[in-house]
Amino acid sequence: MTLSIVKNATCTFCGCVCDDIELHAEGEKIVKTKGACSLGESWFKHHTAERLYPDALIDGKPATVDHAVEAAANYLYDANMPLVYGLSNITCEAQREAVFLAEIIGGVIDSHTSL
Amino acid sequence: MIYWGGNPAECHPRHFTKYSLTQKGKFIPNGRKDRTMVLVDIRETPSAKAADLFLQIRPGKDFEVITALRAIIKDQPVNPKSVAETGLTVEQLQDLVKQMKAARFGIIFFGMGLSMTRGKHMNSAGVLMLAAEMNAFTKFVAMPMRGHGNVTGSDMVMRWSTGYPFGVNLCRGYPRFNPGEYSTVDLLVRGDNDAALILGADPGATMPQPGIDHLARIPTIVLDPKVTHTSRISRVHITTAATGVSAPGTVYRMDEIPLPLRPALKSPYPTDEEVIRRIREAVAKKPAWRPSPNGQMAIV
Repeated sequence: MTLSIVKNATCTFCGCVCDDIELHAEGEKIVKTKGACSLGESWFKHHTAERLYPDALIDGKPATVDHAVEAAANYLYDANMPLVYGLSNITCEAQREAVFLAEIIGGVIDSHTSL
Repeated sequence: MIYWGGNPAECHPRHFTKYSLTQKGKFIPNGRKDRTMVLVDIRETPSAKAADLFLQIRPGKDFEVITALRAIIKDQPVNPKSVAETGLTVEQLQDLVKQMKAARFGIIFFGMGLSMTRGKHMNSAGVLMLAAEMNAFTKFVAMPMRGHGNVTGSDMVMRWSTGYPFGVNLCRGYPRFNPGEYSTVDLLVRGDNDAALILGADPGATMPQPGIDHLARIPTIVLDPKVTHTSRISRVHITTAATGVSAPGTVYRMDEIPLPLRPALKSPYPTDEEVIRRIREAVAKKPAWRPSPNGQMAIV
């Protein structure tokens, strides 16, 4: 298997967001990190690109992403006061979409900041 | 540098060496030697070893200490008996204030030990006020120690899109902000909301039990790279690519510097951005609603 090296990778485990990490990736796994702290190292090694989970679950049963998106949209649209929460482990681009979604469903949007 | 209610040595291991304590700067050529570090906490954590001064306060007395400090910097009298209840003496606080005023550039890093204890949002507000008032004497700032990778990014995105950093209620069609009322723990514990979309978080493992019970009662939708505790009590779970490992994008560092991600892997799952956009597009196809004067939602 070929080893690919990413230099100056960014770690998103904690708020420090260190951007000087070297990652050695082999296939679906990151096998080695350079410059990361112990927390960052385990973060990178624990997130693999393997297909470990079903694409989506509806009521605990495997489903397609298309059906899950439709079900999610229906639940959120039907609610009077939906909550959009989390946002801390997703990108700013995804957060922007989340604010847009919260606006059109008339919901509350909140992050880990409120904890 | 004051660390308050945080343990960077164990929770942000590179904070000292990469950002705050030991780095050399234009005005501090000797790095660590030119800095004074104070740690305020309820117990002696491993971070205390790095500190020049460790102040151990009694649990839940943060607000009282902050208030006393705010009085002392303005030379107002404080009651030694009230100060003694915090576990510190007036002399210790006066000494701290002296060091704070002697600093050319001071900072208070505050952690969840401050914001999650008795007083909650008011403690954070108190530290921000303390830092603001210190500017009558010297340059002083305050910065929260952020736990998650892009929690600062969520503050930034919500700030420029709604005007408020977190806990924003859009139910009336315009943003309203009130921590304690529109913050997640309070909403869930009161059982206010009737659906939830959880993005890259696991409240099912971290929230107070009444909040978790409420999430299980209502339709909850989870987007996460893993099947989490929250996924197990949710109606819908969608697996997404892990941010920074296999999903590209931008994240903010805790000092509000945006940084690009360089993912090393290619995920078989879609990104959060893609899934949220698809849910948004599916909702947008339905008739739009506007809040009506009687508080009920009307479809227009």
